[in-house]
Amino acid sequence: MKISGFGYLVKEGIRSIWTNRMMSLASIGVLISCLLLTGAAELLSVNVSSAIESIGGTNVTRVFLEQQITDLEAVHIGDELARIPNVEKTVFVSKDEAIRDYQDTLREDIFQQLIGEGNPLPNAIDVTMTDLAYYDDTIAQVLSVDGVESARDTREIAMKLTNLNDLVSTLTLWIMVALVLVSVFIISNTIRMTMYSRRFEISIMKSVGATDTFVRIPFIIEGMVIGLVSGLVSSGLLFLLYDVVMKTMQNIVSFKFIPYSQVGLWASLAFIVAGMLIGALGSVVSIGRYLKKEGNELLGW
Amino acid sequence: MIEFRNVSKVYSTGTHALNKASLTIEKGEFVFIVGSSGAGKSTFLKLIMREEIPTSGSIIVNGMQLDKMKRRQVPMLRRTMGIVFQDFRLIDKMTVYENVAFAMRAVGARSRAIKKRVPYILELVGLEGKADNYPSELSGGEQQRVGLARALVNNPQMIIADEPTGNIDPEMSYEIMELLSEINKRGTTILIVTHELDLVHSFNRRVITIDKGVVVSDTKDTQA
Repeated sequence: MKISGFGYLVKEGIRSIWTNRMMSLASIGVLISCLLLTGAAELLSVNVSSAIESIGGTNVTRVFLEQQITDLEAVHIGDELARIPNVEKTVFVSKDEAIRDYQDTLREDIFQQLIGEGNPLPNAIDVTMTDLAYYDDTIAQVLSVDGVESARDTREIAMKLTNLNDLVSTLTLWIMVALVLVSVFIISNTIRMTMYSRRFEISIMKSVGATDTFVRIPFIIEGMVIGLVSGLVSSGLLFLLYDVVMKTMQNIVSFKFIPYSQVGLWASLAFIVAGMLIGALGSVVSIGRYLKKEGNELLGW
Repeated sequence: MIEFRNVSKVYSTGTHALNKASLTIEKGEFVFIVGSSGAGKSTFLKLIMREEIPTSGSIIVNGMQLDKMKRRQVPMLRRTMGIVFQDFRLIDKMTVYENVAFAMRAVGARSRAIKKRVPYILELVGLEGKADNYPSELSGGEQQRVGLARALVNNPQMIIADEPTGNIDPEMSYEIMELLSEINKRGTTILIVTHELDLVHSFNRRVITIDKGVVVSDTKDTQA
């Protein structure tokens, strides 16, 4: 393919987007919805995964001590816990340290009441296990130590989150499959409209000996440009909405979300690549069908 | 060069459009194909352009055997021929210049080649002053000359004209025929399908008559 010829084909492709602007706009709209929905599902999945990692990925179990246990007693209990087989190490977490973890999420005046004497939290010890397979046995031994009140079972939370994550992943996959099919269908229809409006030109091109590839290129470019625009708009919307949505979700369920700076670039790139691929695929589907049938006839003789 | 050997074409509807037709047209000839409608002229053209494939027999056009040709080779065949249509087939929203350039672009010509070649061809058909006009602003005869320019622009070995004067007045028809004769003198094979016998008779050229799918007469021996 000669470069000048290619430039002409690119121009033709872009021109037909404008000629068919209503259908192009509809395609772009549908494709944006598809990309954003799939992107949202995928990003949710990534965030849940990261939350699981931060909770369940560690072998640390927080063991709460009885309310009246003093700091000194707590340190002794820590030493005792450390002697239990399968306990790798113990770290004392004072009630003051524990309440500071909530400093960010509480109102300042409430927080002020809770530090010092008003602190409702017990002293605690973070117990790190060597092997989580013996979790039940080890916890039973930990709980039998005098002064130990309870242990926070992180496994349960981790398991719930894992289940949620599996569900989200499965849903994401099906949403993706369904939406990609819808997008390809919509785009291939848009391209077919362009093709019918240009069937006269196509028949002249074929009569003077244009190859199928040459006839195809403007339509593939049209599809890819629709995909590119959709990908760019989706990326823009993601940039505007990600933090807002995540902060809203954080208010409902307390978790630490992955900041936009870490996912933004990859998500945008994925949007653009996916958009262009879907666009090209939609074009290939419709033009292939057309060229095999009507495209071979040189319009009524 | 066109060679038909025992070519038959039966459509899926059961119509026998051509029945064991054999003929040879040499390079540089000027030939009229005549016959009443439904005689098989259109099928003859479609077979030459490989829009249709013969049911039996063999066809050789410009050195290519059409009955054994693959789909992707068809564009190369079509580049050896220029086609002129009865209804001109010009693109309304393009100027005369653009219509002719379009045929060059379709086969991947460079812009520089297009800029050089199109004005030359327009001059050849006598339309140098009409390059920026739209087809709707031209007379029938002028429109057909644009069609002819488009057919010529890729420098084909052969021009195939399907009823080229069917939609224009007799005076202009004569001019188009003169132009085709002129092109023929430069070595291009000319094949004209028509049913306008008056026009055919005023040019003393080879005439092949097709009737009911059979070549019934060929003036090859008596041509000028």
